[in-house]
Amino acid sequence: MNAPRHTSNDAANELTRRAFLGRGAMLVPALASGCATAPAAPAAAEAAPAGGARLPHFAPRAKRVLCLFQAGGLSHVDLFDDKATLHRFAGQELPPSVKGTQRVTGMTSGQSRFVVAPPIAAGRRCGASGLWLSDLLPHLQTVADELCLIKSLYSEAINHDPAITFMNTGNQLPGYASMGAWVSHALGSENPNLPAFLTMVSQGSGKNPGQPIFSRLWGSGFLPSSHQGVGLRPGANPVLYLANPDGVDRDRRRAMLDDLAALNGMAARASGDPEAAARTAAYEMAFRMQESVPELLDTGEESPAVLASYGPDVHRPGSYAANCLLARRLLERGVRFVQLFHRGWDQHIAIARQLPNQCRDVDQPTAAVLRDLRARGMLEDTLVIFATEFGRTVYSQGELGAPGSGRDHHGRCFTVWLAGGGVRRGFEYGATDDFCYNIAADPVHLRDLHATILHCLGLDHARLTYRFRGLDTKLTGVEPAYVVRDVLG
Amino acid sequence: MRPDRVHDLRQRAGLLVGAVLSVTVAAQDGSQSSGTHWSLVPPVRPAVPQLAPHPIDAFVRARLAAEGLAPAPEADRATLLRRVTLDLTGLPPSAEDVAAFVADPDPSAYERAVDRLLASPHFGERMALPWLDASRYADTNGFSIDGGRHAWLWRDWVIGAFNDNMPYDRFLVEQLAGDLLPERSEATLIATGFQRNNMVTHEGGTIAAENLVNYGVDRVKTFGEAVLGLTLACAQCHDHKFDPITQRDYYSLFAFFNQGSEKALDGDGGNNPGPVLQARSVLRTGEEDALRARIAALEAEFAAPPPAAIAAWEAAERARLASRGQGLALHRARLLAISTPNSGDGFVIEDERFARIDRPSGFAAFDVSMQLPPTSAPITGLRVVMHPAPDAPDAGWGHGGGREGKRTFQLTTITVSAGSVPADQINLYRLLPLATITASSWDQDGHPRGALSTDYEDGWMPDPKASGPVHVTVTFDAPIAGDEARFLTAQLNFGRGGSLMARRMEFFAITGNDGDTDLPGEIVSILGKAPRDRSPAEAIALAQHFAAFAPAMSRARIALANARERLVARTEASATMVMDTAAKPRPTFVLHRGLYSDPREQVGPATPPALPPLPPGAPRDRLGLAQWVVMPQHPLTARVAVNRFWQLLFGVGIVATAADFGVQGERPSHPELLDWLAVEFVASGWDTKALLRTIVSSQTYRQSSATTAEALARDPDNRLLARGPRFRLPAELIRDGALAVSGLLVRQLGGPSVNPYTPGDPWREISHYASTHATAQSFRQDHGEKLYRRSLYTYWKRTLPPPNMAAFDAPNREVCAVSRPATNTPLQALVLLNDPQFVEAARAFAERILHRRGDDRERLGWAFRSATSRLPEPAELRVLQRALDRERAAFAGDPAAAARMLQTGESPRDESLPVVEHAAWAQVAAMLLNLSETVTRN
Repeated sequence: MNAPRHTSNDAANELTRRAFLGRGAMLVPALASGCATAPAAPAAAEAAPAGGARLPHFAPRAKRVLCLFQAGGLSHVDLFDDKATLHRFAGQELPPSVKGTQRVTGMTSGQSRFVVAPPIAAGRRCGASGLWLSDLLPHLQTVADELCLIKSLYSEAINHDPAITFMNTGNQLPGYASMGAWVSHALGSENPNLPAFLTMVSQGSGKNPGQPIFSRLWGSGFLPSSHQGVGLRPGANPVLYLANPDGVDRDRRRAMLDDLAALNGMAARASGDPEAAARTAAYEMAFRMQESVPELLDTGEESPAVLASYGPDVHRPGSYAANCLLARRLLERGVRFVQLFHRGWDQHIAIARQLPNQCRDVDQPTAAVLRDLRARGMLEDTLVIFATEFGRTVYSQGELGAPGSGRDHHGRCFTVWLAGGGVRRGFEYGATDDFCYNIAADPVHLRDLHATILHCLGLDHARLTYRFRGLDTKLTGVEPAYVVRDVLG
Repeated sequence: MRPDRVHDLRQRAGLLVGAVLSVTVAAQDGSQSSGTHWSLVPPVRPAVPQLAPHPIDAFVRARLAAEGLAPAPEADRATLLRRVTLDLTGLPPSAEDVAAFVADPDPSAYERAVDRLLASPHFGERMALPWLDASRYADTNGFSIDGGRHAWLWRDWVIGAFNDNMPYDRFLVEQLAGDLLPERSEATLIATGFQRNNMVTHEGGTIAAENLVNYGVDRVKTFGEAVLGLTLACAQCHDHKFDPITQRDYYSLFAFFNQGSEKALDGDGGNNPGPVLQARSVLRTGEEDALRARIAALEAEFAAPPPAAIAAWEAAERARLASRGQGLALHRARLLAISTPNSGDGFVIEDERFARIDRPSGFAAFDVSMQLPPTSAPITGLRVVMHPAPDAPDAGWGHGGGREGKRTFQLTTITVSAGSVPADQINLYRLLPLATITASSWDQDGHPRGALSTDYEDGWMPDPKASGPVHVTVTFDAPIAGDEARFLTAQLNFGRGGSLMARRMEFFAITGNDGDTDLPGEIVSILGKAPRDRSPAEAIALAQHFAAFAPAMSRARIALANARERLVARTEASATMVMDTAAKPRPTFVLHRGLYSDPREQVGPATPPALPPLPPGAPRDRLGLAQWVVMPQHPLTARVAVNRFWQLLFGVGIVATAADFGVQGERPSHPELLDWLAVEFVASGWDTKALLRTIVSSQTYRQSSATTAEALARDPDNRLLARGPRFRLPAELIRDGALAVSGLLVRQLGGPSVNPYTPGDPWREISHYASTHATAQSFRQDHGEKLYRRSLYTYWKRTLPPPNMAAFDAPNREVCAVSRPATNTPLQALVLLNDPQFVEAARAFAERILHRRGDDRERLGWAFRSATSRLPEPAELRVLQRALDRERAAFAGDPAAAARMLQTGESPRDESLPVVEHAAWAQVAAMLLNLSETVTRN
């Protein structure tokens, strides 16, 4: 097999395992640093994040992150990584020298044939950069010069649960903190009225329901739970329990909170309990969220041109398009990490029917949010990540051309892209072989992607640690990880 | 140096475990230059300093004296009772309990209170909670589709074990090896569920060998952290960097847990992953006779419903029948798309008019997207017409097994969403609530009402004797304005299996009233007669229908269904997951770098050489492991246990890293105290209640938690124990406290888990609903008493735990958790202020307050004491009175708002209470439930 070959990225970094944190990771009364603290609060008792150093570790290129997570395993073969060989060998057996002997999932391991399936649609080289993008993504093609494709990402996981957990938390097994939780922990929120890490889920038109997703993907793992992603959803309670009970208006609530604060203050003076003041501060932020969240969800102030740019689905609450627009509004308000999960990319079957629908869901809104951020001068310091848990096999699952045929999971190589703060524009990094099956050049493990994301935020992945169960845990785990310096702009 | 080289070096260095250990000990703790790590040396009873009558106080004061500190005075009586009641039962004391205790001059009053609490059935519930965290107990399988499982018999075993004061060594032995004991019983088999609480997958592409390793890894991790206090998991991939556990040791331990017959992929359709035991709950509650009496009383109520209520219902039904079809018009929808998640063809839109399913699968859901024609009147509902095959109409409307020679279907769920743009698939965020469902006809057991709930159990099946097209009609809760939502998407779930799917469907928006009824023909004809013209049989049939379906009877129906279910759970066998030994156990290998695919040397079950050997004669299986772990001279087991109980009472353990007694863990704040407790614990016969009594009797425990800024700065985490412990209550205790104070709490012990209020259906947004037979894919709220059970009975879905518990740091129960953080976030404020569970609790609390005689001042005092266990200070009382006056005035100016505010929650309101007064008090009650003090254990 082709052993991943590491370039000399980031070789200077020393892995440090020193325990800077004086306490264990548990039972420390902590004010929510994920949910910004009010000035009145006492110093957070939570252990200082990372290495004792002030954060970020160095000047960041990006201040915030938009992660557009395509859940289910997006087909790099169809959308980003066309090769002439795929057409030449269409319908023929994938050469054994390419396929190798490594494991495939239990869903196709019993197949007798592994026939090369070319991309279901044509594509073209786009923009000045000449990046190849599928015609299933016509809007994205118009912003190709913003993208930094990483075509040589790989993951050891070949099934959804471990793979999507790996991509989002750095470990295939549960119990670890998600990317957004790490960033919230490290950098906190810039907006005192909103949490640092917000997530939104949309259902795919290709396959519905898509593969299940899990709260651990935006969970805090061993980090204090105040760093877990806060879900935003359309409706009367965009954040769970946000709305006052029927019959209680805002003035009434305000008066009650004032009394509550007075009572908490009296009790705290008698008992010397600093948590009472912290609790009052948290109630104040909750009160402000009751105003700030509905305000940010109200897209009535958006110009018709902006609304139209996101496509007609922007009017469908809960859609990927609507979530993209909300994401921009959140980023504008200083939310540190916004993550969208769009389900439905698991095209084992009926790829010819499902994939165009999936692409239609995301194509125009994704292009629009890039353009919108660029127009507002925000793309320079916003890192956009378009990621998935693995790619899909070049060979057909089921008989090639049959309406029910599709592609199986493929973790050996797949494509993600970055854009915006800190990364090169109109650039592609890494390459797969002639069959999009193995990495031919510049392998990037998903750990390296994590290291690179943190780097763009001014964070050294090796020094961003949290002591838990005797280990200085890191997003990038215990194996070595490298910042992919070549993609940095 | 390259980072990977550093890692390699460390790995090589790790081989020299002893050396690394000594060096690291030296680096970590100057007081110990080398030698064995403290926790691996068996504890010896230390001499107790002669500083205080109680040994705990003596140890603590020795340290305080060394630091130049003095202990705090005893907490006031109210705080003391609140503290010990919360700690030992998880519930706050009632205002009456506090008043009696405060007034009790008997010096042994505290001891008596402790005895009473230790004997409370709620003691087991409180003690079980941290063990459920450590044992990663949950109601779903966890990985991927995360379907439901049944493990509550094990949870109830834990509660029972604590209530019965089962010795802690026995507690461990039964859970580790209950299946291997010579005296094994149903109870000891249930206990082994501890090792089956690990997550299990059902994901299609899973590689069995990989997952079986993962399951074993999780068992070793849990055993290590919960029982031994060692982070064994580090040694899965390489020798432990710091603790004397080699990779070989790790897999030798792993081998104990790698002998079962479990499968890698198992547990679908709500069935447990095997091996499974059918057994009765071992938790004794003594409620069966009362339950039977309650069921009999409710059945009697059903047998003779009040005639006045029947008459009122009859009138309403007759009016509904009379208004049937008023203004009804059908507007054919233009169909845009049809899709189903798991097949690519075999279904099609024909002429933009019919949705055709040509090739059925076993079961499937279809989403049909449609455009509605312009209508002048609001759209009141949707009708789906199922056509028979055009070429062979006698063959029926569906693909499934014949009924009277006709192939048919069963529509198990219908959901509809609306929008201003087309949506190929149902929009879960814009579901239209459905008020009624009717059909042109239905088969026995095929009533359309079954299609309103998201389960796959029942649903509409037409009367096979019908001919021509048949139809089902849903009426929306609120009509859609003509120009508001031109696009509908309907999801039709044919979830019964057996290809019971429709063939050819046509969709119509309706305006006006549905022309059909959900009443059976027989009832319609009886209603058509005057009462005097009905036969006795008809009168009985009508009364039975009323009892079974009338809204007026819904509360009683729920109560009866819950009581019957409860009796079944109490008296009949249920499934639970147990441990066994396979006929041919799997061999265990050292896995190079932890990879399942790289097995090296084969190993057998063995304990780590750094710890004492197996007792003589102990078998090399889980029973031997269990005997080993409870050896009196085992250096870790008792220390880890007493530390965890200490943590429960003090918020933080004597060893703060309760799961890690290794070199990287924290040193004990009071090593002699820890050892004294451990030795005493073993000497007492591992008597948990005695241990707890000893600790809560100490002055150290009874100290006031009040503090000053200076004291706080000196010892922010109170590790020196110069004051009493204070911490925010765990999630479950906050909710349980509100329920207890409100009087809503249902004090039933054990039983199947329940689904109290959760907003909407958050499970469906992330799950595989409509694509799988797994359970727990769509949230269905329970009703009646199940809304008010203690929180440890709340159904725990691992991929989306109850949000109001997760907000307060409850772990997701995916992996072992031996301690919880205690954060302080705005989301917690939103839960306490706005979660219907807490809003309803405030309303019920207010009702209790209003049922007390007395003026405002007396009532406020009682209410404040109910919430916080103390009486308010005058200044506090003034704030409360001001708030009450303000709320009264505000609601008096807007009684409608008061009425709306009192509608939250399903428990009945005492309608005799004036609305404005009740609402004003409910606001004050809510404020009391939100006090920092109420959610704090002082």
